[in-house]
Amino acid sequence: MSRVVFDHVTKSFGDVVAVADLSLEVHDKEFLVLLGPSGCGKSTALRLVAGLEDPAEGNIIIGDRIVNNVEAKNRNVAMVFQNYALFPHMSVYDNMAFGLRMRRIPRRERDQKVLDAARMLGLQDLLRRRPGELSGGQRQRVALGRAIVRNPSVFLMDEPLSNLDAKLRVQTRRELVKLHRQLETTVIFVTHDQVEAMTMGARIAIIHEGALQQVGDPQEVYQHPANLFVASFIGSPAMNFFHSELRLHDDQLMAHSSGGRFPLSEEQARALAVLKEGKVIVGVRPEHILPDWEAEEGPEAGLDVVVDTVESMGHEQHVTFSAGDTTVVARLDAARSLQEGERLRLRIDRAHMHFFDPDSGQRIERE
Amino acid sequence: MDATDAAANQRLPLIAVARRLPQRLRGINRLGFALIFLIPSLVIFGAFVFYPLLKAVYLGFYETDPFGNQGDFVALDQYRTVLTSESFRHSLWITFLFALYTVPPGILLGLALALLANQKLPGISIFRIMFSSTVATSVAVASLMWLTLLNPSVGLLNYFLVEAGQPRIDWLNDLDWALPAVSATTVWLNLGLAFIVILAGLQAIPEELYESARVEGASDLSVFWHVTLPLLSPTLFFVSVVGTILAFQSFGQIHILTRGGPLDATTVIVYSIWQDAFQRFDYGVASVQAVALFLLVLGLTVIQIRFLERRVFYQ
Repeated sequence: MSRVVFDHVTKSFGDVVAVADLSLEVHDKEFLVLLGPSGCGKSTALRLVAGLEDPAEGNIIIGDRIVNNVEAKNRNVAMVFQNYALFPHMSVYDNMAFGLRMRRIPRRERDQKVLDAARMLGLQDLLRRRPGELSGGQRQRVALGRAIVRNPSVFLMDEPLSNLDAKLRVQTRRELVKLHRQLETTVIFVTHDQVEAMTMGARIAIIHEGALQQVGDPQEVYQHPANLFVASFIGSPAMNFFHSELRLHDDQLMAHSSGGRFPLSEEQARALAVLKEGKVIVGVRPEHILPDWEAEEGPEAGLDVVVDTVESMGHEQHVTFSAGDTTVVARLDAARSLQEGERLRLRIDRAHMHFFDPDSGQRIERE
Repeated sequence: MDATDAAANQRLPLIAVARRLPQRLRGINRLGFALIFLIPSLVIFGAFVFYPLLKAVYLGFYETDPFGNQGDFVALDQYRTVLTSESFRHSLWITFLFALYTVPPGILLGLALALLANQKLPGISIFRIMFSSTVATSVAVASLMWLTLLNPSVGLLNYFLVEAGQPRIDWLNDLDWALPAVSATTVWLNLGLAFIVILAGLQAIPEELYESARVEGASDLSVFWHVTLPLLSPTLFFVSVVGTILAFQSFGQIHILTRGGPLDATTVIVYSIWQDAFQRFDYGVASVQAVALFLLVLGLTVIQIRFLERRVFYQ
């Protein structure tokens, strides 16, 4: 059993609260991603598990053991650092064997384990080299190898891909997922890159200002963001937000914003009944905004917009519109080209609207 | 230059000169151009290093009369007699002991202090300033301080000895203790420099290396042995080379504390040179020793670089 539990963990540095009352369970053999912007406390959370920081409050549990007072070396965890933290004066072999040597594993067994890991990572021919003679990708593998040989109960990875170039990052992403499947070990992976999080994590825990915002599988956090922060952080281009007022028009509930107005379904209207002031933030992802090519002028539902900028991605285009004093971004297919300054009307896929309470920022879920 | 040109030059002399400057520079070859920039340092080095060095070699070929004037040319005879003399061998031995008593303890103490001062504690900078303060202490001040500490009747060291029920020691006049006492002063004097350099070396070691060593299961001692020490080796090497050179050139503290005594027990080569040159006015003999000292330090440094540097890891 190598689950990891944060039980109401708090950690601050001086006046700065790095981790605020974090409660989270990482299941045995799970690949969990801690995702958040830089400085959100995700690395501190990881270091708390490693034993490099001590929690001020709460418990860190690995397996069934509270490890608050257990030294890093006795936690049987392995950590891959962002800059790999390889020992520059040691060969690749010595780097990978370091942990085994510290644990006084006999030489023959040590050699065997290092060789096995080296073979798994394609490092056999580099064992005599020093880290300074390796490429970034190779160093990254050595850091992984050093973690693998000890057969730890938990892998901790602190942005291990961020020093690789874009192409290698994509490749290593897949290899890491494969490796995890092979090793069947609990992995906690810290990143600020939502693409990494979405593609690698079985579950994603989103952290902001030291506090857990949402935990869920990639689809869940994308389709049902728990609050405004998650909604804006996940997805690229980011979700559009319309600060709206709810009004009734001929028995039809509409959300009015400065950019336009959207009719709401009965179901949505029921869910929004919890709002006292009649104000709501409507969130719409860029792929759920569609141009209404046949629209006529008039007080129809939708957004009357002017094209600001067009970014072509080849297979699609990201178009920025201005609607009143709000900016709207849409992901459109590249079939029809748009000109800057062009006026048109946008429709919004009602089924894909997200609603947030403007006071609390929390999601208002349809029943 | 024709008349119009001259008129133009009179109107705008500076611009005219500036316009021609690049052409003139191209005329001078690159070595000459480089020499222009080297002249200031060449003049200084020439006057205070190269000339005295050559002059010393030259003086070693001549005897000196009792009045300090240059005497007969004796070729290598004077080198032979001085370098094989009992007194030169003695001062060489004393110098060797002095280096042995000052360099390794100085490095170990500097390392210990630097490790202490490398902790992240509130107010640690006060200790860092204290530990490095001997850099700002002159040889004379340090020597006078230690003269007081080592004083046989009112010195602090003897106070502790008496408190411990031991007999007093006349540190600076004792044949066995004079050299260790002078060495202790020197270690203290050079400690600040060793401390600063080693602390800088420690701070250049990335924090993650310590952290990854800890996660990998290393104890504090193993971290020091397998991470800190190898990564600090270039710094320790540098401190040992500089420390050795400093030891071989020490003069002030010996002059103030013991004047080379008792019975030449603290007469290192530099002190012997000074005595021969400025007490006995035998410049020939002093020059021979000076040349020998130069070659000795040069040789030692080369050996240190050759053999010690192999064990050093540079990033």
